[in-house]
Amino acid sequence: MSNKVLVIGGGPAGLEAARSAAELGGEVILLEKRDRLGGTPDREGYAKLTHHWRDASEAMAELAAAVTNHARVEVKYNAEVKGMSGSAGNFEVKIEAGGKAETLHVGSIIIATGFQHFDPGRATQYYNYYTFPDVITLTDLEKMLKEHNVVRPSNGQPPKKIAFIQCVGSRDRQIGNEYCSKVCCGIASKQAIELREQLPDSKVMIFYIDMRMYGYWENEIYWKAQEQHKVNYVKGVISEVLKKGDQLLIRGEDTTMSRPMEVTMDLVVLSVGMEPSAGTRAIAQLFGVKQNKYGFIEAGGESGLDTVATSVPGIFVAGAAAGPADLNDSISSAGLAAARAMALVRA
Amino acid sequence: MPTTQENWNPGKAANRHPEVSYEEKERLFFEVKNDPRYEDFLYGCYECGICVSTCPSARFYDYSPRVIAQAMAREDVERIYDIIAEDIWNCAQCFSCLRCPRGNNPGGLVTLLREVAVKNGLQETKDVLQGYSRVIYKVMLKGNQVSPDMLQPDFFPDWGPWVGQFSANMPVWRKAIPVDTLRGVTDAAWKTNRKTLLELYTIWFETGNMDIIKEIDEGLYDLLADVMQEELEEG
Repeated sequence: MSNKVLVIGGGPAGLEAARSAAELGGEVILLEKRDRLGGTPDREGYAKLTHHWRDASEAMAELAAAVTNHARVEVKYNAEVKGMSGSAGNFEVKIEAGGKAETLHVGSIIIATGFQHFDPGRATQYYNYYTFPDVITLTDLEKMLKEHNVVRPSNGQPPKKIAFIQCVGSRDRQIGNEYCSKVCCGIASKQAIELREQLPDSKVMIFYIDMRMYGYWENEIYWKAQEQHKVNYVKGVISEVLKKGDQLLIRGEDTTMSRPMEVTMDLVVLSVGMEPSAGTRAIAQLFGVKQNKYGFIEAGGESGLDTVATSVPGIFVAGAAAGPADLNDSISSAGLAAARAMALVRA
Repeated sequence: MPTTQENWNPGKAANRHPEVSYEEKERLFFEVKNDPRYEDFLYGCYECGICVSTCPSARFYDYSPRVIAQAMAREDVERIYDIIAEDIWNCAQCFSCLRCPRGNNPGGLVTLLREVAVKNGLQETKDVLQGYSRVIYKVMLKGNQVSPDMLQPDFFPDWGPWVGQFSANMPVWRKAIPVDTLRGVTDAAWKTNRKTLLELYTIWFETGNMDIIKEIDEGLYDLLADVMQEELEEG
């Protein structure tokens, strides 16, 4: 029986899982495939978080520091899992870190390999992401917001009319992602506020199926965007984005006004959803944990309420590897995964 | 269509009143929007329709308080003009729409829109208010209320489809169930004390009510002003 906990993935969920397990007295090994911690928010250059409007880099650096400064956490960078054998309490995990092969003996494992943003170039959505430079994604816009340099990629000029198209790559049987990605309504609204702050002369519209602003996002982000920043919300999804002169023409229905519409925009932002990351898919297959039809790791156990349990005893899942999650969800599930992983190695 | 402010609004209304310039429509819109009450009347609209479901007028007219709130929020200048010209007089000003979960006040928006319509003497407003000239004449000149018999059942469709049937039997019912304040009189109202009447006339002039009447119905204004000024001079 090994008393060590292995955490795979150095994003928000992995960092919190490692920190929590260490604080509970565990010996933790954290594997990160890149040469730095912070996960997707760091890699994709997120600007502000919906949480207290915090700077994403700062918040991620804090999470990382809690782990790197902890004596009982060993971080292995440039690490990749090569194979696994054994069972709960006695796992043998073959890895390669920094070009060096190693075998780790651990009692329990937490998978925190996260998600990736939907690639809007995929068929059946006629948004021309790869054709028109002024069609961008939430992730692209986030980078521009971080640099306080929001411009139309086609001409370098600040956009005056900006449209967000919601549910790109989510809630769509034809695409295969039937689920809601949970965060895009909030992120689009947050970005709309930042846009109106950085470009006060701009008009911003959000085209949606339903606004899913659960909990306090409702009053803290949605109402704020609409009431203080005059962001317009129109129920109706855009069917296609076309070119008109040097602008983009979007087509849809203004459903509550019961009229088809065609409007020109300077910039169109696709609110791309979440898909399992390549790492999540690979690790699931390597470890033999069950995935759902979308490729996320199936969690919930037999009761459905064992929210961090995978199909393999001793292997737990935290964060968006188990499905779309915001930072609150990810960090909360990481704490629970740490507790469950520690309970196992101490038994 | 070229990109102008006009085609910013998705699903915007077509230009149904080409006789009025866009600039004029926009001027009226801003008159409403710049009213100090506006920001307390419209926060943000879910487009949920709860105001329509509570609205008595919406049952009987092609009228939607939701569309009014939405059109204002979206700054749909063309549609706002349609609303000023056609919709606002369908509102009973009952304020059932205050049930709004966002704390909006569509009925209050209608109040603002009506004030702007009247102050600017829009032709459509004149036409709509034509039917009320008798009521205005009575209330403002005599200082008393409209007598029950003056009210015709077809005035107010939002009273419901049974009002005609009720009206037919109303005299009998009033005898059967006496209404205290009417004291059996349905074809006349009380006589207003002369001092009170002169005070009322002064109020109509001083508060700008007479200016509004002049804007809307010049004939009625002349009629009222002649009598009132004469009486005021007599003292």
